[in-house]
Amino acid sequence: MKRSQLAPAAACLIFGACLSGCAPVAPWERGNLAKPQMALDVNPMLSTLRSHNYSSREAASGGSSAAGGGCGCY
Amino acid sequence: MNQRISVLLCAVLALILPIQAIFAVEAGGKAPDCGLTSMRDAQRYDLRQFHGKVLYVDFWASWCGPCAKSFPFLNSLHEKFSKEGLQILGVNLDENPADAKEFLGKYPADFTVAADADEQCARDFDVKAMPSSYLVDRKGVVRHIQLGFRPGEAKELQSLVERLLAEHAGAQ
Amino acid sequence: MAAIKKKKTLESSAGRLLVSACRRLTGVIKPRISKQQAAASASSPLHALTAAALALPGLMMTPAQAADEEAGFQYGHYQEGKRQLFGIKSRFKPIEVESLQGSGKIKLADRVRFAFNYIQDTWGGATPIATAPLSFQGNRENGVIAGATPFLQNNNVYFDAQLNPLQRNNAANTFSKDPQLVHTLSSASPETRKQGDFKLSYEWDEAALDVGGGISLENDYESRFGNLGGRWDFNQKLTTLNLGLSYTASDTQAIIDHDAAPYIYDTTSGTASYNAMYDSQIEILPGGKRVLHGKRQDWAAHFGLTQILNRNALFETGAGYTRSTGYMANPYKAVETAFIDPAQTPGPSGELTGLAIGLLEQRPDARNQWTGDLRYVQHIDGLDAALHFDYRFFHDDWGINAHTFAADWVQPLGNGWTVTPRVRYYSQDAASFYQPYLVSQQAFSKLVVDASGRPILVEADNPNNGKTYFRDQNFNLVDENGNRVDEVAVNPINKTVPFDRKLLPAHYSSDQRLSGYGALSGGVTISKQFTKGVSLEAGAEYYTHEGSLKLGGGGEGSYADFNYYVVNAALKVDLAALALAGAGHDEHSGHGGHNDHSRHSGHGPAGVMFDHMLSRSGDFMVGYRYMYGNQHGAMLHGSDAAGDMDIVNNGCPNSNGCFLASSGMAMHMHMLDLMYAPTDWLNLMLMPQFVDMDMSMRKLDGAPQPTTPAEEAAIPHHVLHEHNTGGIGDTGVYALIKLFDAPGHHVHTALGISAPTGDVGIKFRDTHGLEGGFMHYDMQLGSGTWDFKPSITYTGQKNRWSWGAQISGVKRLENRNKSGFAFGDIFQSTAWGGYDLLNWLTASVRGVYTVKGSVKGEFNGTFNKLGPMDYSTSYGGRYWDVGFGLNAFVPRGDLGGNRLSFEWLQPVNDDVNGYQLPREGALSATWSYAF
Repeated sequence: MKRSQLAPAAACLIFGACLSGCAPVAPWERGNLAKPQMALDVNPMLSTLRSHNYSSREAASGGSSAAGGGCGCY
Repeated sequence: MNQRISVLLCAVLALILPIQAIFAVEAGGKAPDCGLTSMRDAQRYDLRQFHGKVLYVDFWASWCGPCAKSFPFLNSLHEKFSKEGLQILGVNLDENPADAKEFLGKYPADFTVAADADEQCARDFDVKAMPSSYLVDRKGVVRHIQLGFRPGEAKELQSLVERLLAEHAGAQ
Repeated sequence: MAAIKKKKTLESSAGRLLVSACRRLTGVIKPRISKQQAAASASSPLHALTAAALALPGLMMTPAQAADEEAGFQYGHYQEGKRQLFGIKSRFKPIEVESLQGSGKIKLADRVRFAFNYIQDTWGGATPIATAPLSFQGNRENGVIAGATPFLQNNNVYFDAQLNPLQRNNAANTFSKDPQLVHTLSSASPETRKQGDFKLSYEWDEAALDVGGGISLENDYESRFGNLGGRWDFNQKLTTLNLGLSYTASDTQAIIDHDAAPYIYDTTSGTASYNAMYDSQIEILPGGKRVLHGKRQDWAAHFGLTQILNRNALFETGAGYTRSTGYMANPYKAVETAFIDPAQTPGPSGELTGLAIGLLEQRPDARNQWTGDLRYVQHIDGLDAALHFDYRFFHDDWGINAHTFAADWVQPLGNGWTVTPRVRYYSQDAASFYQPYLVSQQAFSKLVVDASGRPILVEADNPNNGKTYFRDQNFNLVDENGNRVDEVAVNPINKTVPFDRKLLPAHYSSDQRLSGYGALSGGVTISKQFTKGVSLEAGAEYYTHEGSLKLGGGGEGSYADFNYYVVNAALKVDLAALALAGAGHDEHSGHGGHNDHSRHSGHGPAGVMFDHMLSRSGDFMVGYRYMYGNQHGAMLHGSDAAGDMDIVNNGCPNSNGCFLASSGMAMHMHMLDLMYAPTDWLNLMLMPQFVDMDMSMRKLDGAPQPTTPAEEAAIPHHVLHEHNTGGIGDTGVYALIKLFDAPGHHVHTALGISAPTGDVGIKFRDTHGLEGGFMHYDMQLGSGTWDFKPSITYTGQKNRWSWGAQISGVKRLENRNKSGFAFGDIFQSTAWGGYDLLNWLTASVRGVYTVKGSVKGEFNGTFNKLGPMDYSTSYGGRYWDVGFGLNAFVPRGDLGGNRLSFEWLQPVNDDVNGYQLPREGALSATWSYAF
């Protein structure tokens, strides 16, 4: 249990330290970030299909995808 | 435990929050003055020159989805109230002017569209989001800051514009 | 001003708490609340939907908000390659999966979003059920057809003194060491999974909260899930925190395959099954059906942070924890176990003889899983491309550590084209209890003797009745008191005790998903965005699983290597963009003339196809059509109910009689309508479709005894299992031609060809070494023939009234398809009337008369004819229906131009050919958008 609670806090600290060196990006400077190819998940429908295939063949695809999916047995 | 995490998070956030917004434009404060260039005919505008009118300054960019949604609304405001003293300024913040031109081809603007090439206006107004709109009354006081555009809020904005138009209507 | 102030207080109380805590702690000026995010709307389409499907809904949110309103459809085909069987010819086709996904997302109000998602997969084919040394001959040629069948109960297997498996040369009776392993393959008839889920979100200016839930259904597995997610933006949305929680409850109800049933070994000799862990889980139903019940729960939490680094880069990092409890094993996987009696005398070559049997796998009933992930996105300025790099670490207390690396390069090419190559590498350790197969040094079973050393006998037919018997000196059967008893009546067998379960490991599985291996995959996706927000996409990915690719080495042997490929195609419609493009100048000043026009172009009820034309050249329409039909109840002969004896005697001509009849059948059809008007008098239409069907069967009262082994094997298989099929159906291409157009009256004709893209070669899995044969005609996915489909339609309207009539037909252009048959021709006539209840809502009533011919020809391969559904004479008929429909049209606003209609078709009269199930009704639902 301890591990799971500390992980996010640790991650925050690490990245917080890194970020103090990052340049602030004004709202009007986010033209590139707003492009569709810059979305974290560019193609959600395809990601769904892929993760279903991966999770039916790999042990570790669970964990963040416990919901849905069925057993995909056989 | 929960509290400790949030304390940690807060510490992180404190590190990353840039020190800014010290000279923020607030509702109730004086609108800043800055220069713009018309996208139609390269004419220079100075915000001061609209003193006495109700000024609707709308910061937009071609890549911003809600901006496109706001254009029909701004067109209708322009059509209804420009004669009563409403001046709409669509301030473009695209880095590439060609993107803005293409956008205007798709979503034509009847109101004045101007470029803020050196981003001076955006900085002076301390633009927080895209789109951002600033409603300035006839005395040059910022009366409302609208961040983003949602169709459901259009009605409210319009009635505010009407109210501001009615204030000091004879002042000029 | 009051109204404006109020809005600012809408910020989430949770967000406010956190923020005010920050302020107290740090004294830093809190940035004012912004009302819309900068990098917002151009971002990933349907994002919330991905999260809602499959991945933990609510746990995977981007910093950017997804586009407001969208609809998407996707088809995927998964095809696995053949497995390495070391020279054994398998008659099983590798597993393939047909997937269909439909997604929608709409804004219910400015700040309220609703997303829904539907997925269905149909799969069939062979996969490993166990692993064994090659010398066990798990894949063995047997039965009346060529090719291997799975063998899990292999009586004699051989080992040397060090317990290395030995291959026996039967001719020379010599033994040689052979450590080679191989998977034992088994095949399954097609099965379908359906999943529906939703997500409802409310957005504040710098926060969002969403709730979602869904259900996934299979014949043997049911899953329900709910989730809660929150998003908080800070620092002018440069930083975003996500928190998600989800709960899933799943039920397994696996029908243990009677073909593979021997591996669920229960001793019939009077002692309880050794496999005590499963005793309570396996329910034995009348008729020998064994059902394994299991329950499982998953709790998951995920915390994520997204940070914009600069104007060209952002990253996301997160950590997740999932706790799963309950039944997590796969009910269809066995662990091949060799029992070697240590007391035995080795054979002449020093060989030890063992008995091998498959045991149901045993997994722990709890699993704790931790994940950490990092995603980085970089814009490449010169090329306008984006590089995505993802890494994920996984750790669980089953001993699995896994690493996933993926990189995508998204390259826009101009004119709306985008190409995305991708590579992915995955590596995992084996679970601590993974074993390709087990060796247990004990006898599989031992004779039970009494105090004086006499073997105990019990009644073979009733071993648990407490009575015991013995042999006396003369080998006569006697009871406990020494009295002779009738040998024939008792039918004695030796009482045995099975092996000691405690000598086996507590947990074991040979599921290759728990073995150590690496996987490398790569693919490319190409998409084209058309103007006004419609995009088409196609992609392919190749995946290879190899033990030798495992990070750090030590992976499973190459016998377990396999590969697959996936191809996909998708259509996406950005409704918000379409509405913007269509709204033109000013949505408030009523310029929506185009939409008004399409409203009055004579749409018929939902069940009528080709009911309208696009009237302006250059117009497009995308639509989705869903049709559901159900047959159920007492069998009909003509228009009258038919008794079982009647069916047995007359339903199966030229046979000894019918064994089975269908007890229910349902059909679901999903179609895409893509329509384009090159001129105002001609429309072109493309209609791909996806179908799935299920059928259940029952034994007829008074049915004759099966006479052939095939019948004997197939009958229980039919009755015990619901049959499913699904996949791409036939594809229609049509031309609609305007014949007459006057105010209030319109006539057009549609001339079309249906291409046989649907599979008509679907077969049952082989069972007991016998070929399952073709599945019933109407469980096939298409007609198999090229078909001509003409129709002529009249529509009219006046004021609030509308009406129409249509005559349509299907003419098969070939006498038989590649499987040897052709469906009958179809003729249909229909007429309807509608009334506008509201300016956006029309109600309709319709009458339909249909004539369908019977099937011509017959399957040209193995085909077990067990009931009327297998006879061509029991297809077709004459039908009357009445339809009740509603058409809704959104005249303006963000969803302006969308049309939604429903119709229920109620059968009035069936007059069927031969013996068929009555129809219970049909539902049609359509959505369309013209632009």
